[in-house]
Amino acid sequence: MTPLENEINAVKKELVDMWILVQSQLNKAKEAMIQFDKDLAREVLIKEKRVNSFELKIDRDCENIFALHCPVAIDLRFLLAALKINTNLERIGDIAAGVALYVVESSVNFDKDTLEKTQLIRMYEEAVNILMDTRTAFEKEDTVLARSIFKRDDVLDAINDASPNTVADVIRADINTLPEALYILSIIRKLERVGDQSKNIAEEIIFYVEAKILKHLESSKK
Amino acid sequence: MENPIVKAENYNSYFGDNHVVKDVNISINKNEVIAVMGPSGCGKTTFLRGINRMHELIPGATSKGKILLDGQNVYDLNAIYVRAKIGMVFQRPNPFPNLSIYENVVAGYLLNGIKVSKADKDVIVEKSLTSAALWKEVKDSLHKKGTFLSGGQQQRLCIARAIAMQPELILFDEPTSALDPISTSSVEALFHELKANYTLIIVTHNMQQAARVSDRTAFFYMGELVEFDDTKQMFTAPKDQRTQNYITGRFS
Amino acid sequence: MEAKIGARNVKSVIFKGLVVFFAFIIVVPLVVILLYIAKQGATQVNWHFLTHVPAPVGEKGGGISNAFVGSFIMVMLASIVAVPVGMMAGIYLSENPRTKLAYYAGLCVDILQGVPSIVVGIVVYFWIVKPLGTFSAIAGSIALAIMMLPIIIRSTEQTLKLLPDSLKEAALSLGVPYHRVILKVIVPCGFAGILSGITLSIARIIGETAPLLFTALGNSFFSTSLTKPMESLPHVIFTYATSPYDDWHDLAWGASFILLLFVLTLNIVTKVITRKWKIQL
Repeated sequence: MTPLENEINAVKKELVDMWILVQSQLNKAKEAMIQFDKDLAREVLIKEKRVNSFELKIDRDCENIFALHCPVAIDLRFLLAALKINTNLERIGDIAAGVALYVVESSVNFDKDTLEKTQLIRMYEEAVNILMDTRTAFEKEDTVLARSIFKRDDVLDAINDASPNTVADVIRADINTLPEALYILSIIRKLERVGDQSKNIAEEIIFYVEAKILKHLESSKK
Repeated sequence: MENPIVKAENYNSYFGDNHVVKDVNISINKNEVIAVMGPSGCGKTTFLRGINRMHELIPGATSKGKILLDGQNVYDLNAIYVRAKIGMVFQRPNPFPNLSIYENVVAGYLLNGIKVSKADKDVIVEKSLTSAALWKEVKDSLHKKGTFLSGGQQQRLCIARAIAMQPELILFDEPTSALDPISTSSVEALFHELKANYTLIIVTHNMQQAARVSDRTAFFYMGELVEFDDTKQMFTAPKDQRTQNYITGRFS
Repeated sequence: MEAKIGARNVKSVIFKGLVVFFAFIIVVPLVVILLYIAKQGATQVNWHFLTHVPAPVGEKGGGISNAFVGSFIMVMLASIVAVPVGMMAGIYLSENPRTKLAYYAGLCVDILQGVPSIVVGIVVYFWIVKPLGTFSAIAGSIALAIMMLPIIIRSTEQTLKLLPDSLKEAALSLGVPYHRVILKVIVPCGFAGILSGITLSIARIIGETAPLLFTALGNSFFSTSLTKPMESLPHVIFTYATSPYDDWHDLAWGASFILLLFVLTLNIVTKVITRKWKIQL
């Protein structure tokens, strides 16, 4: 294996490690939210620093490969995709930390029924699955799996679109649930962005494997 | 890990009155691959040839200052001894046309009249050709003359010839300039393997090659050592404006 | 335009034809001479011819053994002197082309090449024959050696100059001392060229009469002494061809044939050796 191949594989591995970390952050934040476990939430906040340092390292490693090896073709596309996936993962990490922050700051317990009525739990689970599948698609260079992400993001979008009404219903039922409801609305918005970030990641994977650019196309055309 | 094998101290080179290498101070460690790059006429080859005292063979060529090899100034030692201790590979592959491949590898011993038993010679030939990644390709034609070999193979033969003398330091003067891209990659792959046992100093006018193969890079410009740093640093954020201009192609 | 091209084509064909024609014309005299000498001389050559000295006038038989051996000895001696000296000088000139010594030495070599052979003979007469008080084979050899030198020097120099510098550099960088670089790398690589220069010079001098006239003179008897006059093939040819006796004319033809054969063999051998030993650079 040439030195260039070794370095590219190293970046792949780092990216996957970061992916695993971000997945675990998202999961922990979900558990913390459901169980209202403030300690677990604080763990997520502390680990957020690791996510950030991953981002810096991967950026620097890609920069070094560009400088030293002047990669072309699939290597070039891979590195360009890796830089963007890096940023997307870091943002998902931020979102997980954001959810954890709410858990730490909130004095109110999130009621299980409310979570179900707003479809928050379902949305969260779907978001976690989507993220996991992007990682599989990346590791296996599976563009079919990557393409499936676009449709599944529609589910998240639907729940997000419905959220003003569902949350309004919750508030109307009991005005005291207002602070809790506002948090829930925020989390729904954040999870919708997780879906978007995952879609971006899927687009980058298809770009680097097939050299096809799907950015800014409508979902139906992808 | 600091472990200098070559140190230049206030080293200057002249061709007659022409001051070609100006006051170079540099320290190179064992088992490093050092690239020396710079535009044409910047003194990089002259500096390289000063290390193994090939520079003074040119009529009118002189030098001042010290070059320390393992702590000893090469200009205080016998020139022939210095040249035998340091290996050199040139731009154009130059195997001896009157010797067979086998004899070429042990040419350093043959031409110096150093007596080596046949068994020892066989071992040296196999080891050197293996280190030069040429053994498999020529092991059945060791007694033929090397003229049927391709350019890349001839260059690897020259590398084997240099290695056979068991130097600690090998100097390369634009070793792949005369080779096609595939031969060039095979020689570059060799640098990575040789690093484990030797220290390599490679003069190249191809800065991408410098970026690909070296641990540290020295940039020469108009006879001066402008910058000498980790290759990664040099190619991502060089400290001197002249270095940046050179590697971005802002001047030749 | 087309007419011009037509005219040019015609001129081209005429020119080519002329060139071939003149090449043939050159070959013709050469072939005629060779065949004539062979015809006249081949019949003379037999074992008796080669092993006996010339018979006195009137007697039948006789041969050229003294001339044959004499030429051989003097050429050998001349080579022993001229080859090392010439090669060394050639090596110096190729290694140090820009020194003053090289310039003047080169000049002298070129002038020497143009000096008439008889003048060389006269010079050696004053240098060696007069002081020694006798004509001798040594004097003859020295004269021949002087004539060989320019050819050997120039061909050695030219051959070595054609070798790429990278060859020397490769050897020097291995820590090989200068004298070994020359003796074990440069000279062996230039061997073919140097050898052909040497054989060329031998072929040149083997037929020289003039320098031998004042130095080795000639000797009707068989002699291998270096300090006495010695017979040589060109000299017998001269002596017997200009004599009034038919017997001796025949001897002259025989000797001419032998000389021719010798030069021919030398050239063929050189070509064979050169081809076999040619180093592909």
